[in-house]
This record gives sequence, C-alpha cells and structure tokens, in this order.
Amino acid sequence: MIFSELYSAYYNAVAALLKEVIAGNREEKHLRETVERHAFAESALTVLPALKQQKWQLLTKEGDTPLRHAPTLPLTLLERRWLKAVSMDPRVRLFDLSFEGLEDVEPLFTPDDYVIYDRYADGDPYEDEGYVSRFRLILRAIREHRPLRIETVNRRGRPIVMNLMPLRLEYSEKDDKFRLISSGCRYGKTVNLGRILSCRFYEGTNYSEHHESPRTLRSLTLRIRDERNALERCMLHFAHFEKRAERLEGNEYALHLRYDGEDETELVIRVLSFGPMVEVLEPQEFRALIAERLIRQNKLRM
Amino acid sequence: MSGYSELIKNFEKIRAYMREFYVYGFKSRTEYDRKSPRSYDNERRRLESWLGDYMGFSRTPEGKTVFLSIDSRSSRCNPLYKAWKSKSFTDGDITLHFILFDILYEESVCFTLAELMEKIDGEYLSHFENPMFFDESTLRKKLKEYVSEGILLAEKRGRQTCYRRASSPALPADGEGLHFFSEVAPCGVIGSFLLDKGDEMPIACTFKHHYITHTVDSDILAKLFDAMGKKSSVILSNRARRASRDFDAEAVPLKIFISAQSGRQHLVAYQIRQRQLVSYRLDYLTDVKPGSPFAEFDDYRHWLTQVQRHLWGVSVKKFGEQMDTVEFTVFVGEDEEYIVQRLMREKRCGTVERVDNHHYLFSATVSDGGELIPWIRTFLCRITDFSCSDKVVEARFWSDVDRMNRMYGLKGGEDE
Repeated sequence: MIFSELYSAYYNAVAALLKEVIAGNREEKHLRETVERHAFAESALTVLPALKQQKWQLLTKEGDTPLRHAPTLPLTLLERRWLKAVSMDPRVRLFDLSFEGLEDVEPLFTPDDYVIYDRYADGDPYEDEGYVSRFRLILRAIREHRPLRIETVNRRGRPIVMNLMPLRLEYSEKDDKFRLISSGCRYGKTVNLGRILSCRFYEGTNYSEHHESPRTLRSLTLRIRDERNALERCMLHFAHFEKRAERLEGNEYALHLRYDGEDETELVIRVLSFGPMVEVLEPQEFRALIAERLIRQNKLRM
Repeated sequence: MSGYSELIKNFEKIRAYMREFYVYGFKSRTEYDRKSPRSYDNERRRLESWLGDYMGFSRTPEGKTVFLSIDSRSSRCNPLYKAWKSKSFTDGDITLHFILFDILYEESVCFTLAELMEKIDGEYLSHFENPMFFDESTLRKKLKEYVSEGILLAEKRGRQTCYRRASSPALPADGEGLHFFSEVAPCGVIGSFLLDKGDEMPIACTFKHHYITHTVDSDILAKLFDAMGKKSSVILSNRARRASRDFDAEAVPLKIFISAQSGRQHLVAYQIRQRQLVSYRLDYLTDVKPGSPFAEFDDYRHWLTQVQRHLWGVSVKKFGEQMDTVEFTVFVGEDEEYIVQRLMREKRCGTVERVDNHHYLFSATVSDGGELIPWIRTFLCRITDFSCSDKVVEARFWSDVDRMNRMYGLKGGEDE
C-alpha cells in the first residue's frame, strides 16, 4: 500500500528538477543541488545521467524539456485517507489544518482502531478552548520570534509570572504533554503548556534573550543479561537514545547510551524496571543511585 | 559492485537490515548468514546513502560492526522515513508518469487512451532521437494503476473510456500541523509524503520519548487498518521469535495496541481457527493479505473493549481462564505527593486507595499479572507489600530483588 514509486525521492527530485528547467534554471550545479536536496546522498550520480542520456525521456540533449507545465500530482487516495484519519484526532484543533474536500473519503483509521495503552492519564486538555488559544499564540510567537508574558503555576501550585523568549515546543507521546522550551527566564527554560494560566505577547524589555543552551548529555553503560527476552526489550526501550551496543561474553551485552542530565531520575526508574536483567556498569554515580534505592527497599522489607 | 542501486523493489529485505542496524547494531558482517555477503554490502551501502549521518561503525574481534544511532530528541523529522521513498521503477515508468500528468495538467482535460497515445508520441517523445515506445497495453496498465491510486479518474464517453486528473483537496497550508502528525500519528510516513510536496519550512515542534522503530512496519499497519475499515479478516504471515520460517493464520484484526514507552506495536485479533484473541507483534509480521468480510466484527470488537478493562499490556491469551490479582503498597513520605500523582497517572486499569497518611495501595485484576512487574519495580525503595495471586510471579518478584542486591554488592533479601 505504502511502498510505491509515486512517493519516491527520485520522483520528487525529478519533479523539482523539471520545475527548475521550466523556470529557465538549467545550470548543472543548480540541478545537481536540487536533486541532492530532494533525494539521497548518491542520487545525483544516477538521476542526472539518466536524464542526460535520455534513458528517462524528459530532458532533450539541449537541456530543454517537452513538458509544458511545472509537474504537480493530485493527492493519492492513501494520502487523503490518512488526512481524513488525522482530522479525527483531538490534537488537530491545535493547528490550522483544513480538511476540505475529504467529505467522501473513508479514513485510513479511526480512534477506535488503535489504543496507546501505556500513555499517562494526565495529558494536556486538547478540548479546552483556553488551552488551544494559548497553544496557538505560543506557536505564533515562536514563528515570529516575539517574547511572551506567561502566568503559570509551579510544581507546588504557586502562581508565577515570567517574561521569556519562546524557542520551540517539545511533545512527549508518553506524557501526552507539550512543553515550551524558552530562554531569558530566571525560573528555568521549560514550561508545561498544561500549567499555563494566561499568556500574551510581551512588549517590554524585561527579559534577556539567549540562544538555546546546549543539552547536557551524560553517558551510561548498561550490562544486559539476555534472559526473558531482555536484550530485545531493552534495546527497543532505549532505542530513542544515541547509543551503541556490543557483545560481551555468553548471553551478556553492553549498551552505551547518552541521556539528558535533567532526566536522570526518569532514567534510574527505567533501568530499575528491567530488574536483574540490566545492571549499571558506568558511571559509578549512577550505579550508586540504583544501589541507594535498593538499600531503602531492603529496609522496608525487613 | 555491479547492479547496485540506491532503490529497491522489495521493502521486506531492507526492513530486516534496518531493524538489525537500528535496534541492535552489534553483529559483524559474517553473522548476517541468511543473506550473501554481497547482499549485505549492498544493503549496508543503501542505508549509508539514505541515513549516512546516523550510521556508525566499530571494530570488534569478530570484525567491523555497523549500527544506526538516532537521538530522536534532536532530529526534528524521522529519518527512517527515507527508506519508504526508495521504491525502484523502470525508465518507462518515470517517463510515462511525468508526460501523462503534463498532458492531464488540470481536471478539465480529458482524453481517451488512443488520444493519449497520440499525444505521448507526437508531442513528447518525438523530441528525442531514439524515442521510447509505449504500447497500448502498457499505457492501459499504467492508467488503471493510477485510477486505483486515486490520482486519475476513468469516465465513460459513449463507448470509450476517457481519463482525467482527479480533483484533489489542497495540501494543508499549516506545515507545522502536518509535520506534527507525520511524527505522532499512525502511518505517519504518509504525512511525510505530503510534506515532500510542499516547500521546506522551519519547524517549531520537537519530540521527546520519541520511538521511531515501528516506522519500518508502516505498510503492515496500513493493511491492518484497511482490513478493519472493511471489517474483514486477513491472512497473517508471522515469524515468531526464534522461528526459522513464517506461519500463516487467518485472523480478524480488531485493534492496534501501541506502546508509548517502548515503541512496540501489537495487533490484537480474533484468530478464527483457534477461536480466541491473539496478540501479534507487528514487527514479527512479514505479510498481510486480504481475507474475507467477517459479519461478527462489531461483536468481537465490543468483546475486546470488555477485555481491555483487565489488560495491563497486550497479553490476551489467558483472558477468561484465570485472572491474576496484583496488589502492592507504597510508602509516601512528607512532601512526596508526586508519588501519589505518579500512581494516579500510571495506574491504567488498576485502582489506587489511600491506606493511611503515608501508604497507598494499588490493586488490579488482570489477565497476566507478570505484565505489571517492570512497572512495579520502578517503585523499588518504597514498596512495603506486594502480592500476586499467581504465586510464581510473586516469588520471582522478590527473588529478582535479591539478585539485584547481589548485582550491586548489597546485603538484603533472603540471602542474608
């Protein structure tokens, strides 16, 4: 259903190239860059000769094309069915998506066809008009690079007001929450959108503008004992990190990964969840965090 | 390396390599024994061409190993989608494609097969010294394919069929929204196809805890959704873990279970021959073929909804036999209200009760108590009591804690 040349990088690259030719841009370097932008690392080595040698009869030897119109393609039925399915997602209200022309289209899937069974229950309120309008304002502020004045509540439920420069949004499917990543605020760079009480453009100068500070990444090495399918479960569970694995002896493997320092507590409990199948090898500080929890547990068990 | 191309005809072959390189990445060339060394070299080179920025190599005593390492928090678009844009085609396919849509450049333009042939030869291919030749059957086949893809319409004009470009909704102007759903919605790769049609734009939204492993299973998922829409059965080819060959089974797909905490996707289906619910890992399915309409689809889906009240994960096989009751109590100290909040948001089908000022009891009756154990372990350091009606599960929980103590050189548990 999905694997079709209609969606291929080569078709996209050729369409973009022909658009350039029709617009009068025939310089070889420019055409090569167009292909490189739309396809893969080695694609120009195939696409340009195929056109030049007239294996694909779309460019003449003079570099002209018999095509009269810049190439366009209607949306395929699969694309329309996917868009229709997306139109049924509660998060769609956050965006300015139009679904006109899909009235007679059967959705590829409906909310009844799938469930995200381990998502946390306290996700953001996508049905709340106030939340939606604040989300849209924040998105606009990011695009227009404009500072915001935000009233929110901290972890203890106390209201705080902050002036900040919004940089980007970050969404977690597990938490089902959006966070605003910002700069220029003394209360921190991350604000949960679900906790924001009010939000407006800020016209004053009482904020400092910085670029986003680089992430503080830490290294972690785990030993995986491949019992009860732990190797596969663990490699899938930690798949979203920058990582490298190696085989040790017998049924043991080492997994080296890098994680954000601010997420250390979360990572500790994720490692704990694997029980005796996963052991922290390095660093010793992280190993101590696991040991400290076990010591506290042992005291409760006595 | 003659005959090498960046493009491929069959996705299944590359799917296995992508999974190996991305999920594991510790095997050397000689361990890919199911394929020939040349096949391995070609697949590795392709992946390097598509995903070179994410590819790493390391030297081990067994030889060089190749791995894909993608920190999905820092890459704004799922790079694995590139694999779905690598379908091979013939010289005739691409030539005909662009000429056809240039002739049928807007919806009002409509031609018969004969008229199209005349135009292709006379107005397009005549510009070339050695023009290609498309016979009537080739063109008819291509037109039929495009009608089924929904990009052309076939209409009767008297006794003849004429073809026109299908009307198409405009591409949503909000690229940000499209980008968001291309990353989080099922079959998001289709959103990526749509994004390819528009101009590149700066993206404001990034993702955390973002699993992309299932990308390579998108076609399987789309076929299962399609069957659900038609309330039909399918023939599943399933390669179970450690099995050397596929097993086929007819089943009625009822629902896809997606994990936001591991990226794994399961199909829960009614297996017709065994007359029971079965869950299948999507990454173990190698093919899905259409079956036949299943009249009781709504009844079985309703049944699954009832079953879901007692599912922690995806283990449905034991449902209806003997349910497991799982209970544990956690200690909550002063200023640790966040632990109660954790319990409340993560309890799924379980319940949470306050026992006293410092203790909360979680309990659940589920089809497989063993599925809760990894989650319960995340509360280690505050568990004052744990019990499971399946005593094997209960004993293993505590013996695992003892093993962990030994691993970290601690005294504690039953070994003391």
